[in-house]
Amino acid sequence: MLGQYFSDVWIEGEVSNFKAYPSGHLYFALKDEGSQLQAVCFRHSAQRLKFALEDGMLVVGHGRLEVYQPNGKYQVILDTIEPKGLGALQKAFEQLKRKLEKEGLFALERKRPLPALPRTVGIVTSPAGAAIHDMLRTLRLHKAQVKVVLFPAQVQGEGAAGQIAEGVAALSDRPEVDVIIVGRGGGSIEDLWSFNEEVVARAIAAARVPVISGVGHETDFTIADFVADTRAATPTAAAQLVARTWEELDARLGDLTAQMLEAAEQVLFEKQQAVDELVRHRVFDLMAARMAELHHRTERLVTAAEVALRSTLRAATAALAALDLRLSRQNPVARVLRRKVALQVLADRLEKPALALLARQNVRLEQSAARLDALSPLASLGRGYSICLKTDGSVVSRAGQVGVGDDVRLRVSDGSIGCRVTRTGDN
Amino acid sequence: MAKNEKPAEAIDFEKALAELEGIVKQLEAGNLALEKSLALFERGVQLARACKEKLAEAELKVSQLVKDKQGLFSEEAFKEDKD
Repeated sequence: MLGQYFSDVWIEGEVSNFKAYPSGHLYFALKDEGSQLQAVCFRHSAQRLKFALEDGMLVVGHGRLEVYQPNGKYQVILDTIEPKGLGALQKAFEQLKRKLEKEGLFALERKRPLPALPRTVGIVTSPAGAAIHDMLRTLRLHKAQVKVVLFPAQVQGEGAAGQIAEGVAALSDRPEVDVIIVGRGGGSIEDLWSFNEEVVARAIAAARVPVISGVGHETDFTIADFVADTRAATPTAAAQLVARTWEELDARLGDLTAQMLEAAEQVLFEKQQAVDELVRHRVFDLMAARMAELHHRTERLVTAAEVALRSTLRAATAALAALDLRLSRQNPVARVLRRKVALQVLADRLEKPALALLARQNVRLEQSAARLDALSPLASLGRGYSICLKTDGSVVSRAGQVGVGDDVRLRVSDGSIGCRVTRTGDN
Repeated sequence: MAKNEKPAEAIDFEKALAELEGIVKQLEAGNLALEKSLALFERGVQLARACKEKLAEAELKVSQLVKDKQGLFSEEAFKEDKD
């Protein structure tokens, strides 16, 4: 009955004896200088609160009055509570900021440097917003050698914070990602609110790789900015931080090339100088004279050597000829020939007297033969004489040697005549 | 964007840069033989040129993560509305 009349009340007071129950219901008292009233905020309303109630906080609440039956006391059931003074969002921001700061999430020691040369950039933002467009354009403009992996997330309204947090975690899980940008373009504090949510802050803090925040405009600061390893004023600025590493590389390359050229020129210059200096050195004059002297000496030696060589050659040729001669004397063929000649000579010497002797003997023989011929009985026979021979061949030179009837033979010059003795007697 | 899939890793810029720095340092020390100096210089020019060329042909590859039915993320091409 009471609730019917007091179903739309606004009440203002300081929170005291605040208790949050596991059920999600909140119990506390609202008091001013002289009075206090028990207040309840049931779970479904408590969930919608943008900030956390604390003792001592001044709040304005809306709800209805009721009597709590067990003790008969009045209590107010609140459906809306706003911090008095600051806006609810501002209050919540301050509270979360204080809480995370206390945990050390904003500590400088936690901040990781950006990779020297990012290769893969994870970006958590709306696929349709100006932010992604700006960031991609910036990366292209500065010729960043990167690959972009976008996690398309809602960046404002109900559920946005959860998506952003999920995006940071998902990109952090991808091994190739070496830096993450979370951001969105400018807007009201309500538009940017997702980046003030604890779940986003926790995801950023837990990321494996450095996170760059680029939320709203230069003047906007979000919890994400505080937790991020690097805060960029805008999404474009965040992309520039990544692109800058590549621009620096480009510039460094140019510097190094110039330095290298200069150093190489210096090396050449120094070497040239060293050579010039050496060339001018007195030692080269001395060397030249020494060289000339050596040259002359060499020539003289060569001439002497030539002379010596020629005479040696001549001697050697002569010796060779002598040797050849001796050798030819030693030649067995020649020796045999010589012996043959000697033998011939000897033979000749032997033969000539023999022949002469022979000739002489021939002459004598002929003479003897002629004398013999003259003495030969045969010659007498030729002159008509004949020889009477007995049958026994004995010559009958006296008549007494034969008897009548004996056969004898008369030898004449060209043969013989058989005869029989018919008479004997003296002449 | 699909063409030229060759990643930036084709040249290890950091390594190239470090080598280039080493070359400059050696050349500046100036106590090298001329031939060695020239060889170093040649190598340096080569490195710098390769890096420069690679940098010049920058082409931004953009993909997006998409969640499948099992709740796993996979990459697919991201179509942006260019102006």
